[in-house]
Amino acid sequence: MSPLLLPQLLLIGAAVAGCAKMQTLHIESSASAIRSAEEHGAADVPQASLYLQFAKEELQAATDLNAKGEEEEAKSLLLRAEADAELAVALSIVASEKAEAEAAVARVQKLRAENPTSGGGR
Amino acid sequence: MTQARPTVLLALALLQGCAATLPTELARARLAYHQASMGHAATLVPADLHIAHVALQDAEAAFKSDPRGYHTADLAYVAERKAELAEALAATAEQEKTKASADVQYQATQQAIIVDTRERLGETQSDLAASQAATARTATQLSASEAARVLAEARTAEAMAALGKLAAVKEEARGLVITLSGSVLFRSGESTLLPEATLRLGQVTDALLAASERMVIVEGHTDTQGSDSFNLDLSQRRAATVRTFLVERGYDTARVRAVGIGEARPVADNATPEGRANNRRVEIILEGRSISGM
Repeated sequence: MSPLLLPQLLLIGAAVAGCAKMQTLHIESSASAIRSAEEHGAADVPQASLYLQFAKEELQAATDLNAKGEEEEAKSLLLRAEADAELAVALSIVASEKAEAEAAVARVQKLRAENPTSGGGR
Repeated sequence: MTQARPTVLLALALLQGCAATLPTELARARLAYHQASMGHAATLVPADLHIAHVALQDAEAAFKSDPRGYHTADLAYVAERKAELAEALAATAEQEKTKASADVQYQATQQAIIVDTRERLGETQSDLAASQAATARTATQLSASEAARVLAEARTAEAMAALGKLAAVKEEARGLVITLSGSVLFRSGESTLLPEATLRLGQVTDALLAASERMVIVEGHTDTQGSDSFNLDLSQRRAATVRTFLVERGYDTARVRAVGIGEARPVADNATPEGRANNRRVEIILEGRSISGM
């Protein structure tokens, strides 16, 4: 073995390990976004659940690509997964806020209806 | 038309060429960003809209360097989601504003209800206090009125008992009738009171003064001896004499009336001396209870 070969092998090994670690980080980031969407109840909000499903499928596809050694394509696909998961979270929050706002408006209307002389015209 | 047709076909061919080269994801991303920038996102969540804009720029840059590459399509896909995310965040901000406004209105309404309730409570308390005061006044008035009524009734009862000892007294529909014999009060054919009559009539008057709130009618009556006109005149004069006596003793002049009846209303047979004696009389009629409760 050439005295120069060992450092080269070590360098390549480090680079490969680094790539693998980076890819794991991207997968973990997308998986974390999906978990967040689930925690926000995205599965129970029709529109949000669609994007949650997209994110899961994309994560799976990216994992498969990664397993095949197509790291760059997998990394690019993970961007989709993360974006879909983020949108699922946002849509879940919109649904929740909308329900709270509607309840607040209904509460005011009920109070005014029950007290027409006090607050009905104000 | 023949010249325009090739031009239209050329434009369609160019569009088809563009459509063929432009990834669907990028077309959708452009449209999504356009919609987001025209909506409330620009004012409510400008930072998130900017992120969407940057994502679209990244996709456009990737398209220039690699129009058909998977990374271009992925970046465009992400840009579309970022635009939709900005719209969703704007919608969230709007709902938050709606909720905050409703909460403020709820609190304001509650406050108005509290103020209104306090006002009504105050009015109710004032009404209650006024009602209680009125009730107390009424009770006091009733108490005083009742005391006066009891006192007056006692006085009347005493007076009636005293009258019963002095003259014939009886209750009739027209009132309490006190009958004094004419021979006790006057000489025959005269209308001047006999000296001894003064004492007796004084006692009757004193008893009547106990019921001085009532109207009194003094009626003079005669027997059938003599002419009608003489008897009528005599009875009028005798009634007037008694009325004058009552007024002089303190009875209210407005409450005493003198009437001469003559021989028109006998109470006994004028054919006998006893009957005629009974018909010669003066009746003092104490009318029914006055408004004051007598």
